[in-house]
Amino acid sequence: MTAGPMAAGPITTLAVVHAGLGSPSSTQLLATRLAEATQNEVARRQAPDLEVRSVHLRDVARDIADNLVTGFPSARLREVVESVTGADAVIAVTPTFNASYSGLFKSFVDVLEPGSLAGKPVLIGATGGTERHSLVLDHALRPLFAYLRTIVVPTGVYAASSDWGAEGLPGRIDRAAGELADLLVGRAAPTPTPASASIEDFVPFDQLLAGR
Amino acid sequence: MSSILLISGGPSPTARTGVVVSHVDGLLREAGYGVRTLHVRQLPTLPLLTEDLRDPEIGDAVAAVLRADGIVVASPVYRAAYSGLVKALLDMLPKKALRGRVILPLATGGSQGFLVAMDYALNPLLAGKGADSVLRGEFVLDSDIDGGTIAPKAAEAIRGAVDRFTPAVEEARFRRERTRLRPAG
Repeated sequence: MTAGPMAAGPITTLAVVHAGLGSPSSTQLLATRLAEATQNEVARRQAPDLEVRSVHLRDVARDIADNLVTGFPSARLREVVESVTGADAVIAVTPTFNASYSGLFKSFVDVLEPGSLAGKPVLIGATGGTERHSLVLDHALRPLFAYLRTIVVPTGVYAASSDWGAEGLPGRIDRAAGELADLLVGRAAPTPTPASASIEDFVPFDQLLAGR
Repeated sequence: MSSILLISGGPSPTARTGVVVSHVDGLLREAGYGVRTLHVRQLPTLPLLTEDLRDPEIGDAVAAVLRADGIVVASPVYRAAYSGLVKALLDMLPKKALRGRVILPLATGGSQGFLVAMDYALNPLLAGKGADSVLRGEFVLDSDIDGGTIAPKAAEAIRGAVDRFTPAVEEARFRRERTRLRPAG
């Protein structure tokens, strides 16, 4: 298998794993958007094209549960697991249930060999009904992927129902995709610019303190 | 008599979490409690992992939770968190389903380092489902479970946890009955 980003020669692969349940599924939609944005960002960096492999965990739910009991995967699940562990980078998206990842998502992680994702760049995403659960990324997903010793990009993308079609989400998707693309093409991330407060907004201290 | 539900999130009844659960089951029966054990893995897989509440067995499991005065939630620690099976079952409960029920968390894991998994992963999950009475649980090391037997010290700790649990369950049931019997107005 590949030793790391760009080590496999001309083909760089991106595994997109999502645990959406519905059809259509907002989780699947977010996964697709993140994958497209990552392809665009990689192209912008003049790197070779990405090969994207999508994994819909619902399709292998039974195989995952059987694997938990038997200790080994079915042929179909083995193929899925290998497409994820063999990829150069992973995008992982889960619906938010009870302020955490779904049982299906966690069960898939439970059947992955510990260490099989070590060192891999990962972009985490989650969808939910309300923005109240956006910390699912930093309280549930990030610790999980830290345990797996992956390199999780700084921007995670949470999409509440109200985020779709609203301002903000496309920008977060592009920023996260850019961070993943930087890891994929082996380039250091650009010097960050503050997300808000440009230099024109600068208020001198004497003015800030004037009202005191 | 209070009704107690044991939820086992292990991969099989003979795996370590299952051994702990059957040990607790024995202790509770000895003390005269009516106990039901729910092995999450034995629920129909596809409806469980895809949240299909129309399945009769799933509906029955959810109803069992809603009837219980006390619930033991036992999970193996996988990837420094609760197992996906435990998560799948808890996700299917209605909002605030655990309110007013006494919860005893139990976990099994390979290293003492995973002790915090209970505080950082399992407890917020229980709180999210409205649990307002989560007792101090027990963490049992995998190496203290050999086949079907539990090392004496660990068994003693489990007995201690059960001794904390049963009076709290009685009290919770008493509070619920009192609310029900109180005249309206």
